[in-house]
Amino acid sequence: MNKVWCVVSTEYLNAVRSKAFILGVLLLPVIMAISIGVQVYAQKKTDLTPRRLAVLDRSGQLYEALAAKAKARNDALRTQPSSVSVEMQGQRLKMDLSQQPEFILEQFKFPGDDLKAAELQLSERVRRKEFFAFLIIGQHILAPDATNHTELLYHTQTPTFHELPSWLDNTLNAEIRERRFTAAGVDSKQVRQLSRQVPLQRLGLAQQKTTGEVIAAKPENRIATHAVPIGAMLLLFMVVMSSAPALLNTVLEEKMQKISEVLLASVSPFQLMLGKLFGTVLVSLTLSTLYLVSVAWMLWKFGLLGHVPGHLFAWFFLFQLLALLMFGSMFIAVGAACSEIRDAQNLIVPVMMVLMIPMLTWMAVLQSPASPFSRALSLFPPATPLIMFLRIAIPPGVPGWEIALSLVLTTLFTLGSVWVSAKIFRLGILSQGQTPSIPKLIAWVFSK
Amino acid sequence: MPPPILAAPPPPAVRLTNVTKTFGTHTAVRDLTLTVPTGCTYGFIGPNGSGKTTTIRTILHIFHPDSGEVEVLGERSTRAANNRIGYLPEERGLYKKMTVRRVLAYYAALKGMASADAAREIEQWLAKMGLTEWADKKVEALSKGMAQKIQFTAAVVARPELLILDEPFSGLDPVNLEVIRAAILELRAAGTTVIFSTHDMAMAETMCDFIFMIYRGNKVLDGTLADIQRSYGEDTIRVSCDGGVELLRSLPGVELVRDLGQSQELRHPDPQALLRELAPRTTVRHFEVTKPSLHDIFIRIAKPDAPELAAPKMTGGGS
Repeated sequence: MNKVWCVVSTEYLNAVRSKAFILGVLLLPVIMAISIGVQVYAQKKTDLTPRRLAVLDRSGQLYEALAAKAKARNDALRTQPSSVSVEMQGQRLKMDLSQQPEFILEQFKFPGDDLKAAELQLSERVRRKEFFAFLIIGQHILAPDATNHTELLYHTQTPTFHELPSWLDNTLNAEIRERRFTAAGVDSKQVRQLSRQVPLQRLGLAQQKTTGEVIAAKPENRIATHAVPIGAMLLLFMVVMSSAPALLNTVLEEKMQKISEVLLASVSPFQLMLGKLFGTVLVSLTLSTLYLVSVAWMLWKFGLLGHVPGHLFAWFFLFQLLALLMFGSMFIAVGAACSEIRDAQNLIVPVMMVLMIPMLTWMAVLQSPASPFSRALSLFPPATPLIMFLRIAIPPGVPGWEIALSLVLTTLFTLGSVWVSAKIFRLGILSQGQTPSIPKLIAWVFSK
Repeated sequence: MPPPILAAPPPPAVRLTNVTKTFGTHTAVRDLTLTVPTGCTYGFIGPNGSGKTTTIRTILHIFHPDSGEVEVLGERSTRAANNRIGYLPEERGLYKKMTVRRVLAYYAALKGMASADAAREIEQWLAKMGLTEWADKKVEALSKGMAQKIQFTAAVVARPELLILDEPFSGLDPVNLEVIRAAILELRAAGTTVIFSTHDMAMAETMCDFIFMIYRGNKVLDGTLADIQRSYGEDTIRVSCDGGVELLRSLPGVELVRDLGQSQELRHPDPQALLRELAPRTTVRHFEVTKPSLHDIFIRIAKPDAPELAAPKMTGGGS
């Protein structure tokens, strides 16, 4: 056991002292900071050039109203502050408001009924950058039965800019609705009141204590039901993926650099493999502890820590441990069996496919965490660490027997995985030349 | 008067009994019996791929034999003795990103050595190798010769009772070679049993108490150099003459063994007759009837048609 510990401590210290680890620790916060920074920067760098719009109002009744609304919008934008101050957890935070360009409308008058000629002329002017876009309002747009798709035509050569067409759609339809109500003699104010939407409130379930006291159902908490489970599962996936595959490279490198033979003169192959595996588990647990402490601190700072049940942290570490032992041993076996990186990359594909199953299915599990599919998947050992963890994280959680069964199955599968990997490692680590085929690997597993 | 109590002879450092190791259909070592006495220097020779490294790995229990028994430092068929064995593999392996001191400390710790003892030994060996100032440098910063010496130090730092060196001199310049050679002799003098494989026959002749040669998985030589040479008889003639190689080749009955440049080694069924043939044709500066060198014996055994596979087989050196 001393020798295993000796390998573990050396593997651990080698890893945490390496630049790769330090970069890895810093990488997540740095990537997050960069992505937020880029978004903020991009928001500030929004193209605020006023968008000029030509309007051909063939109904002759809507342009004035539309132009008035555009002017009101532009006035509002000019007077809007660039940022607002909000108070959160006793701290005042300055938040930048998103900036939007002004819309400058210009009426386009075209004699005659040749719509195609008008379209062509306006298109040319858009190409010459005189206008950003043009709008053709149909003759019969105010008629109650005017619902076809030719009454409002928006033309542009920048279809990815959505703000202008969205504003036109909303503003014009509101105006048209008002006019139709008025024409039909209906009080539009009353209609608005009567047709006001009733919001649906989402709640959990009421409970009764043993004392008979009834605890009212609590409103659904989107952070607890969605953000926490998804975020925690993705973090678990990330720490597993940042640690286990590295084992393949270290084992393969040691084999290629002939270090393995020196080590095997002092330790047995199984001791060496366990040392490497446990060393990586410790490195990964260090990484996840650093991340979780940081995340917990930020949640606490913003008063959101209460949304994360405390037991979730324990499950996180337990499932991380199982996933690392299970997949780590597979990566070690592949590294030992191969003599070249290229061969290892081919041989690792089936392992990676199994590892990706939870990533391809978690949305279905989130929708129906108690469905037969979700339950079966969470009891399938290679998927258990992520999928069962996700199910546990989604309120109200998972029945105890299902968790216990999944742990038993996963532990057995992990032990089997370590055993099979040890057999492959024992023979593979000193093998040279061509990478063994799958049947050959199976033969290694069952050889004495 | 009671009979004197005779001290029991120490157990051999290594005893292989009828060891066979196969890989698939290839038999790397066939029915090998070998005894390495404690405190001696045993040279393993043989062409590439003949089974030397497999034999060494079997002694280290890196490979398990298909049949036969392996006893090392009194431990039978277990790795229990591995902490008392130092090993320098043929292909060197050091962690490039670790410092010299950490690598050596790690290898010593794997042998079960206490860290304080290891630190002391590391300092001593680095001083002996002239590498003290490199102790805290990363291995990747070392030259090839330096890395070789560090690899050797890693093998000896835990004060092994049995030291196994696979090609310890390959790739070394004469200065570093002499440093390693002196260190091996010093360890030998201190009682360490040394097994080393080499392709340098002169080195094997001068350093080894016993020579073991393996060829195509079979033991073909095993004994002291004198015993081996004696078994081949005095059939080698060393000649130095003005006529050189061309003249010697033209004489009937001459089998040229080796052209050494200034002199030639050859075999002839009747040395006196050869001298009589040579004298009228050229000036003979040197004519010596001698035992075959180890190099000569090696070539005779390992030449492609291997006619001497059935040559006199010596029994184990210590047995």
